[in-house]
Amino acid sequence: MLLLLALYHIDAFAFCGFYVAKADAKLFNKSSQVIIARNDDQTTITMSSDFNGDVKDFAMVIPVPVVLRREQIKTVNRSLFDKLDAYSGPRLVEYYDSNPCSVREELLESKSVSAAMATTESVKQKLSKDEVADVVKIEARYTVGEYDILLLSSTESAGLEKWLTTNGYKVPPGAAEVLTPYIKSNMKFFVVKVNIDILNSSGAQLLNPLQVNFNSPKFMLPIRLGMANATQSQDMIVYTLTKSGSVETTNYRTTEIPSNKNVPEFVKDVFGKFYVDLYKNAVHREGRGTIFCEYAWNLSGNNNVKCDPCPTPPPIISELQRAGVDWLHHNEWGNYSGDLFITRLHVTYDRQHFPQDLVFQETPNRENFQARYIITHPAQGDVSCTEGKTYVAELKKRRYKELLTLANLTNWDTEEFYDYPTRWRSFKLQMDEGFIPIQKATETNPVHRLKASNQTQHNDSIVRDQTTTTITAVQHDALTMDCENNFTPKYQQSKAGTDGDKNRSYLLAVIFIWLVWKLFKWFKGI
Amino acid sequence: MLLSSPTSPSFSVLHWLKADARHFQILFQVIFLCYGIYMLHWEASPMKYFITFATVLLVQWCFNNYHREVFNYKSAFITGLSLCLMLKVNNPFTLCIAGSIAIASKFWLKANDKHFFNPANIGICLTMLFTDDAWISPGQWGSRALLFFLIGTAGFLVLFRIKRIDTALAFLITFLVLQYLRQIYFLRWEQDFFIHQLNSGTLLLFTFFMITDPVSSPRNNVARIMWAAAVAGLAFYLQTFKWINGAPIWALFFLSMTTPSIDYLFKGNKFNWK
Repeated sequence: MLLLLALYHIDAFAFCGFYVAKADAKLFNKSSQVIIARNDDQTTITMSSDFNGDVKDFAMVIPVPVVLRREQIKTVNRSLFDKLDAYSGPRLVEYYDSNPCSVREELLESKSVSAAMATTESVKQKLSKDEVADVVKIEARYTVGEYDILLLSSTESAGLEKWLTTNGYKVPPGAAEVLTPYIKSNMKFFVVKVNIDILNSSGAQLLNPLQVNFNSPKFMLPIRLGMANATQSQDMIVYTLTKSGSVETTNYRTTEIPSNKNVPEFVKDVFGKFYVDLYKNAVHREGRGTIFCEYAWNLSGNNNVKCDPCPTPPPIISELQRAGVDWLHHNEWGNYSGDLFITRLHVTYDRQHFPQDLVFQETPNRENFQARYIITHPAQGDVSCTEGKTYVAELKKRRYKELLTLANLTNWDTEEFYDYPTRWRSFKLQMDEGFIPIQKATETNPVHRLKASNQTQHNDSIVRDQTTTTITAVQHDALTMDCENNFTPKYQQSKAGTDGDKNRSYLLAVIFIWLVWKLFKWFKGI
Repeated sequence: MLLSSPTSPSFSVLHWLKADARHFQILFQVIFLCYGIYMLHWEASPMKYFITFATVLLVQWCFNNYHREVFNYKSAFITGLSLCLMLKVNNPFTLCIAGSIAIASKFWLKANDKHFFNPANIGICLTMLFTDDAWISPGQWGSRALLFFLIGTAGFLVLFRIKRIDTALAFLITFLVLQYLRQIYFLRWEQDFFIHQLNSGTLLLFTFFMITDPVSSPRNNVARIMWAAAVAGLAFYLQTFKWINGAPIWALFFLSMTTPSIDYLFKGNKFNWK
């Protein structure tokens, strides 16, 4: 029994507790960011909440493995998260076609990184006393930064719930059942609330992220408590900083977000919306219980390419050290030496699809990955030479493919952009008319609109001779074929919602079992 | 009707399946691999698959030739498929190591006229222990009900054929009972916490295709069931208290070492595939 207790004692640290309000303010728990720096069993976790109510109402309960000492808890500047978010976020890359008719053939393709960063902000979805004194014990009490922190231990969930309620915390209904497994695991509860006096004297408007470090063999994040007061799904970005390679979850599937796709030019203007819808579509396609890798990169000192392209400069050693990476060494070049790998995971979790806490493993996988989308601008100038005409024909096909890719990635109704391939010089999004790309297409098949656009000569190519007409015709055929092959099945597929998928799965399973049974009977017969 | 015609192609396919239980195993493992590549979008490197199969077949051929035996390509092929399904590496050369260890173990680590490690199991474990380049992804299958049915029924079909369903059930039941007692009865998690892991493709694949290896597992029926339960117990301990990922694979690796003693103490019949 002693052994068992000792083993429980090294139980995991936990984040993503539920919010408990001290007043009836409307609270949201939509999305959060976590940085985990881990070297062997030494773990540093930094938590940034998305709390957007009145700060004096902020309170949080987090299960922790041990009674943390004062020096194991601190606050860090929020800019650390902004830095990592900007560095590792999905990116859009621009290329420019060179003019095939240009006398001076420039081989150089200019390449730039758009500032259009899909920040975490845009990815957030509207998702998403006395009688109890013997069961609740205050193990420690600290003031760290603007926070008052209590470390509680309890022997019974109802007692803990009652303690929290009587001390002015608003505990969501159903919390007691979720607290029980953590209490049974002999975990302590880290109760955080804001010390208004300190906050006012510091003049800060936003709460600083909290950081704790401890030693534990478990590499996990409890998310179950966080779901106690959330009916909708919540988003979380987890940045892991480890020595050997990328990090993945062991009890849920980790997969890469679709990347390195050529998308239409106008995506630059709506990149935030584009990525949000791409992400939603990926979640829908891969299943809700899936975790997406958005970035994985070798940041070791000996790796000179710390990002490619770099939307912002890579994090420097002081920033990494603030996040808990204590195994790097300064070297004489102002750089650092030592192994480091960053992984950015994005999870949209809810009670139904995430019954277990997230358990991670560090793998030796050192393959770099980034969520990267490419736009290519057409050539400028006169393209009336023979090569130019071929170029225009190819360009229109390419732009058509870009549109198909866009529809496939985001499930947008691309009918809005039917003339994007043909008006390749002057196509612009009508942003002033309240442009909102619609996800989930209607029954209308964009094929017809695209055909119509060709027939009505929406073509603003500056080349208007016989050859162009031929090229347009060829392209028209190609377009029709593309549409029939790619568009139609996609929309049919998208109509089948989650329930449809589920029913289809069950039906397939039944058919499969029946087939196997038949096969088996026959097999025994011969 | 079609199936009963002796001249139809499907007839010969089914006869091919019936001829050897390993054919079933190959068929289903290929289906799982295709599912992984096409439905779950695994990083499918043809080069890595080629290297795996080339290594296992070549090493198998060398050993068979040396011992003047018939080239046992089926067994090597199954080992290759298991490695493709489970083992992840950065460097393709690591796959050569894993494949070579797996096949060599069949010839070098023998007792009582049979090898006592499942080849893929020892290949995976030793490669992970001795190189910094290999890992397994227990979460790679996700948790979709369809896959659960697929692996389950396919597994049952193979195991009925080779009469090893007892081993699979002994392992699975022991493991799940222990997990249930811990998670639901002791920690008071809700039911779906427990059900979630039941859907794990990795656990089912292990149960139906690795621990039930009829050649390397103990010969005596009762002893084998006890042994499978012990593997489950060790796997539970390693997973719950030591936080080891892929615990069943490690548990099988350690307990395979006891198989020669079990075979020595409890007599049983030698297994024949056909």
